Amino acid sequence: MPKKTYEPKPLFLERMKELLGKDFDAYMEILKHEPVRSFRCNTLKISPENLKKRLEEKGWKIKIPFEKYPEIMIVEGKYDNKIPSGAGGRDEKNNKSKLIDLEPGELGRSIEHLLGYYYIQEIASMLPVLVLEPKPEERVLDLCASPGSKTTQIAARMQNSGLLIANEVKFGRIKILAANLERCGVMNTIITRKDGIALCKRFKDENFLFDKILLDAPCSGEGTIRSTPRTLEMWNINTIKQLSNLQKSLISSAIEILKPNGTLIYSTCTHAPEEDEEIVDFALKNFNVEVEKIELPLKTSPGIVRWEEKEYAEDVKYSCRVYPQLADTEGFFIAKIRKLK
Amino acid sequence: MIPIKVLNKNEKEKFIKQLNEQFGIKEVKDNIAKFGKERIILFSAGISEKEIQTLDRFGRVEGVGVYFAKIDEKTNDLRLSIEGTQLLKNQITKNIFELDEKQAEQWMMGQDLNITTGKKGFFVIKFKGDFLGTGKISENKISNFIPKSRRLRYKESVKLS
Repeated sequence: MPKKTYEPKPLFLERMKELLGKDFDAYMEILKHEPVRSFRCNTLKISPENLKKRLEEKGWKIKIPFEKYPEIMIVEGKYDNKIPSGAGGRDEKNNKSKLIDLEPGELGRSIEHLLGYYYIQEIASMLPVLVLEPKPEERVLDLCASPGSKTTQIAARMQNSGLLIANEVKFGRIKILAANLERCGVMNTIITRKDGIALCKRFKDENFLFDKILLDAPCSGEGTIRSTPRTLEMWNINTIKQLSNLQKSLISSAIEILKPNGTLIYSTCTHAPEEDEEIVDFALKNFNVEVEKIELPLKTSPGIVRWEEKEYAEDVKYSCRVYPQLADTEGFFIAKIRKLK
Repeated sequence: MIPIKVLNKNEKEKFIKQLNEQFGIKEVKDNIAKFGKERIILFSAGISEKEIQTLDRFGRVEGVGVYFAKIDEKTNDLRLSIEGTQLLKNQITKNIFELDEKQAEQWMMGQDLNITTGKKGFFVIKFKGDFLGTGKISENKISNFIPKSRRLRYKESVKLS
């Protein structure tokens, strides 16, 4: 059944044209295509090498897009072994059939997924944790944690040691977070349920500080249109402005509980500057912090320093805009903020 | 207040003794706690009981570490979860029941295995290199405890190793 299509609103198109300039057409084109099927090997349970081997034995074609991060994998399809030899459609020389698409939901139904050997996650969504660089024995806070994609990624990077607090305010989302942490065998995590701003205030009052914080903020989700086209229907400029205020409160609260020299990653899955650069600019102008340069394994755009009538601090340019058309991912925004002593 | 009781040194030693008797497990480096009446959780040594209680005052604690085992109400025996068997797989030497490919498929679909094994009690279920939780073996069957969310929802060839 073909996916339902949604018409982008004129203001959304106008804003994206303003942001993208000559890349606008390429952006609109890639929105028509679903993102690649990516997943992350759960190194708490299996090595990337072993996982790749056993998935290939099932007939899946696996690609590792970044040599530096072998846990990040893409499944490009599977060899349809139902096609009999000599019937055409087979690569007889290599005794392989044609590559076909995985069935809908097949990636999530495999034994390897059920046993927690991998986590289905879009590549752009893996980037904030690569920038956070959590280490074993650190104290880390994932302030808006559900469904747990990044929490499980952080725990794997910490090798299940240290302390990771995964907070989620919505009761309904706690269950899925807990289920994902369990499936991945995460042992170093405490799940809390509280409004992020109120939780940070309690931490601050008790001087309970963190080496690293991930603030993957609630956002308008413009970057997820490829996988969730309905985002276009829900898009609303007033929501963006409301979210911008919430994000400023969240980042203010989070900076207060960072240890001196600690790192905060601010990320969203939207392109709206009011939710991205404006928040980083707000942090720079109100706290003793700096924005650090980021190295990512794929092509990105720098943060913008001007939007409508607003001029942002020059260093906001060190933030990264991940546009879908640049590296065939979904859209994201990432900034690395360091608290100065 | 979160219903968690972290095992002290003596309680942990007693618990490991039972793990040893049932499955040959001799050492658990991480912390062990009882969560509610039956559930046993395993959590990183980097988390202290004080931190858990402090956090519970800050914001409601909904979970700590990983569900690792359950105490059987009737027999007081331990039943390891899928993660329990996976996390301690290198130490499990006793009461292991190896499945063949067809049985592994049925097992992962959540079905009891109607077979006579001549064994009795809780056994770690294994297929090739994969640890698949624990089953309760009785006279003519192995009872399945794979939770619904972790079951295969369709028949497929189980290439587990």
